Amino acid sequence: MRRLGAALVSLAAFLVVWKLATVIGDYPEFILPAPEEVLERGARAVASGVLWGHTGATLLEVVLGFTAGATAALLTGIALGKSVLVERVLSPYIVAAQAVPILALAPLLHIWFGGGLLARVVICALIVFFPIAIATMVGIRSTDPLLDEMLRSLGARPAQRTRLLEIPSALPVIFGGLRVGVTLAVIGAVVAEWAGASVGLGVLINIANQGLFDTKLMFVALAVLAGIGLAFYGLVVLVERRLVTR
Amino acid sequence: MTQPVSRTTDALDVRLDDVTVRFPAPGTELTAVTGLSLEVPAGSFTVIIGPNGCGKSTVLRLVAGLLSPDAGEVRVGNGRPSAGDGRVGLAFQQPRLVPWRSTLENVALPLELAGIDVAERRTRAADALERVGLGAAARLRPRELSGGMAQRAAIARALISDPAVLLLDEPFSALDALTRETFDAELQRLWMERRRTVILVTHSVAEAVSLADRVVVMTSRPGRVARLVDVDLPRPRPVDLTGDPLAAGLAADVRAALATSHADELRPWSGQEAMA
Repeated sequence: MRRLGAALVSLAAFLVVWKLATVIGDYPEFILPAPEEVLERGARAVASGVLWGHTGATLLEVVLGFTAGATAALLTGIALGKSVLVERVLSPYIVAAQAVPILALAPLLHIWFGGGLLARVVICALIVFFPIAIATMVGIRSTDPLLDEMLRSLGARPAQRTRLLEIPSALPVIFGGLRVGVTLAVIGAVVAEWAGASVGLGVLINIANQGLFDTKLMFVALAVLAGIGLAFYGLVVLVERRLVTR
Repeated sequence: MTQPVSRTTDALDVRLDDVTVRFPAPGTELTAVTGLSLEVPAGSFTVIIGPNGCGKSTVLRLVAGLLSPDAGEVRVGNGRPSAGDGRVGLAFQQPRLVPWRSTLENVALPLELAGIDVAERRTRAADALERVGLGAAARLRPRELSGGMAQRAAIARALISDPAVLLLDEPFSALDALTRETFDAELQRLWMERRRTVILVTHSVAEAVSLADRVVVMTSRPGRVARLVDVDLPRPRPVDLTGDPLAAGLAADVRAALATSHADELRPWSGQEAMA
């Protein structure tokens, strides 16, 4: 309850500062609209049904992209953590792929993967992959060697050691990666939509910005994106609280 | 292959025959033990003593099947040691309990790895905890246990598959002196109830003499057997043997063997010649 209260107070303060900025600066509406104008525009977009379709499309991309990216990252991270050879062979490619800006890569992936939902999920998954894979590798490596020797003395096979010791030891670090990854998933979805899509919050931003010069609608889309990010981040934290018991 | 874990294994003898173990060290190789031969009769209580780095723990790791010798042969009963076959139980200097498991789940771990079903696991783990006086601590997490309780849980884990050979690597050295004496007495009791082969590694001459049938004094690195001292004192022995002239004589023998085989490490700190 107290945590919720703190969040509400901080949200209220944010809105007050925003409102003050519009009053003091007296900016034109297309540069910085006031919060209540954005809220009103949001209500209209909800009522007309425009917002639902775009939000649904982006949500689907975030969920599929994050799931695919996180799953691949966990498996790769375990392999990287367990084998120095795998790390030596794979890590240059993983790091290089991460260093190339996703914005530059997205149009290419868009062409390669057929320009549909699959392409957008792949782009989203790719940006999610890196922090989770690295966190998993680091977590697996942080396993207490004394506990590992204890398990080996009991004849534990490598798969049993991974399941009973390495993954549980790595969980706190893995969840650090998942927290970063889930917010990146939202960015990935928007970037993917910019590379080519007909519906989604990224598309809505483009339409509002370049087509309609409707800055208020753009702010609505940004607020929904922020909300999606917060919601999924909160979900990851909830799962973390249930799984990490220390 | 992992053999089924049996509860009624008889004690097995342990033999090391001309064993050499080397470890890779930066730019070189470190010989931990070489030309080490040792016979431990089935059902006997053997204590290995020597300063740090003389290869005592290496001997236990060989018998536990965690290490293979670079030369020579290690046998437990008629076979090579194999980790997880249930014939050998190993307890370490640190309790090494898995922090996110309850005490009961920690003790049951060897059975879980051997594929024994949950119900039997729980009953046997509860029994094992009862035997080391930890029945009430079954549901506690390791961080809720005192150092002594945690070490007792670790011993219960080593005993749960009723191994024919029990290896103890300085298991009580982190405990305070009083707790340690109690644990030594309890260990003797457990062993007299069930005469499995025990090999215990220690730094303590008093502990060695009060527990052992035979004390093995090891040389410094590379380790080999410097001297065997048989301890023919009646059992059960009291915790404190300081007043016993026979025990005092045997302790003096062990100390003398240690002093001659570790002249460098055990030299007094004071005096100009000692520094030279």
